[in-house]
Amino acid sequence: MKPGIYFRITWALAVHTWREGMRKKTLLGFLLLSILVIFGSNVVATVMPEMPGATTVASDMGTNLIKDICITAISIFGALITVYVSATVLPSEIENRVVYTTLTKPISRFQYLLGKFLGAQLLIIMNLVLMGLLFFVALYFREGVPPTLLIWSVLLTYFEFLIVSALTFAVSATASSSVLPIIAGLFIYLTGQLTEYLRGVVERASIAETFADRLVGTIAQGLYYILPNLQSFSIRTDVVYGSVNDPLIIDYLPNLLSYGLLYALAGFFLAYGAYRYKEV
Amino acid sequence: MATVIETENLCKTYEGTVRSLDVTALNNLSISVEEGEIFAYLGPNGSGKTTTVKLLLGLIFPTKGTMRVLGRSDIGAPDVKRRIGYLPEGAYYPDFLRGEEVLKYYGQLYGLYGKDLRRRIDATIELVGMEKARKRLIRNYSKGMRQRIGLAQALISDPQLLILDEPTTGLDPIARKEIRDVIVRLRDEGKTILLSSHELLEVEMISNRVAILFEGDLKTIGTVEELLALRETVIRVRPESDTAIADLRAAGLEPEDAVNGLHEVRVPSEIPLYEALDKCRNAKVQIDSIAPRRETLEELFIRTVGAASVEKEVHA
Repeated sequence: MKPGIYFRITWALAVHTWREGMRKKTLLGFLLLSILVIFGSNVVATVMPEMPGATTVASDMGTNLIKDICITAISIFGALITVYVSATVLPSEIENRVVYTTLTKPISRFQYLLGKFLGAQLLIIMNLVLMGLLFFVALYFREGVPPTLLIWSVLLTYFEFLIVSALTFAVSATASSSVLPIIAGLFIYLTGQLTEYLRGVVERASIAETFADRLVGTIAQGLYYILPNLQSFSIRTDVVYGSVNDPLIIDYLPNLLSYGLLYALAGFFLAYGAYRYKEV
Repeated sequence: MATVIETENLCKTYEGTVRSLDVTALNNLSISVEEGEIFAYLGPNGSGKTTTVKLLLGLIFPTKGTMRVLGRSDIGAPDVKRRIGYLPEGAYYPDFLRGEEVLKYYGQLYGLYGKDLRRRIDATIELVGMEKARKRLIRNYSKGMRQRIGLAQALISDPQLLILDEPTTGLDPIARKEIRDVIVRLRDEGKTILLSSHELLEVEMISNRVAILFEGDLKTIGTVEELLALRETVIRVRPESDTAIADLRAAGLEPEDAVNGLHEVRVPSEIPLYEALDKCRNAKVQIDSIAPRRETLEELFIRTVGAASVEKEVHA
């Protein structure tokens, strides 16, 4: 098959997946809630009269709180959307038997997975951009300067979601219903946020004397190297406590993005390994 | 004539959690489907029809045996699937799409674009008689319309081999006839059709060859003419006396209850016709008509499946 045709077919699968996803009520619910939180927190802060005698410090604290709420809303609802989309995109095709019509068309299983994965990414990106855009506009009006740091924050958050999405997708490739992949996706997201703590466990275990403690330390070290460190993608402190148009200061940015891409590739190929000979 | 589908000792076992829970869905199936024929693949629910179809399409993998589709053994390869159209039973199509959008999407998966795609959409929509409803949303389609659009998506690439799973289920008699006519027309154009259906009357009308499966075993295979051989003669008689019917029964014939004063007497092919006519004359009945009667596919199906069930019970 010519590369151009291969890409067009894959893109048709991706766009179809995106169009189907756009009609899922759960997804729209998450998006609506996040928009409500971002919009609501800004409106409340604007409408509420400033307390008489309030200092600049107090006003800054209010702004920081709003930024914190919005960043948290994007992270939480974005993660929920990511997990939901990535966990359901394959099993729902088996549940409603569409897979029989699609997989019997002249496409390979790799191409099918690639199309579905790209479609899921379109949905995740679209939701993230919508939430980010709303927050961007709100911050712009509040601060009077374009919050460029927020763009970096959204980009890095996407890479964080890309990892969660790929690993959840891998689990969903083994499943025929969405329940297990959703649970696994949430677990991946939560443990990914806690990877940094594992390093502390390893350090504490290294000075321990009992065998059990050392064993825990070894397991923690293994998990630390296997599990993705999602905290590396967070620049929440910079966005919340810094100036919104500060330049991004991460020396290891290319490495960080490569790290995200590598995890995503690993997740996708794990999905392919599981789906290649899956009986549907 | 080329062989389009060929299976040899094809087996499929679905593994349970323990070996005793394994289910044999297909057992040493050896069949061949020739180019340009309608091959009816019949059997009660759970007999292995869908399993065979899934194997032929590369959706599942055989436990044992070999198969070739369109001369290729790499089942499931895009090159092979390009020449196959498949209509699954009870297929779902996204209800937010219009009829022609469904065809556009599936056409794109065949690598069709631009003018070629539009031409194929128009041709298939015309073939299945959906011109008026092509721009309507699928959610507003009746069951028959969905089935037609399903058939259209199976035909979008102008395939050599069509695999149709229950194509007329749930359709009204007119729609059923129209779909049936489309299938026959496709056969006449040289396409090969593997037809799985429970509508035995229709299958009998249009099929060239028939195979009947029971619990994974092939029980019967052959042309419709071979399988539905002349099995009995029906003599319609009008009794001339009150005792005539009782006399017929006493002579070993089994007249059925009267309809408009006429009784049907079925004479199996083992009994010579002249002997049956002698018995009718002796019983003082007036012979209204004598007609040969061929077994129907439904009767063959029930007889075959019934015998297989009895055989299974005996072995159990």
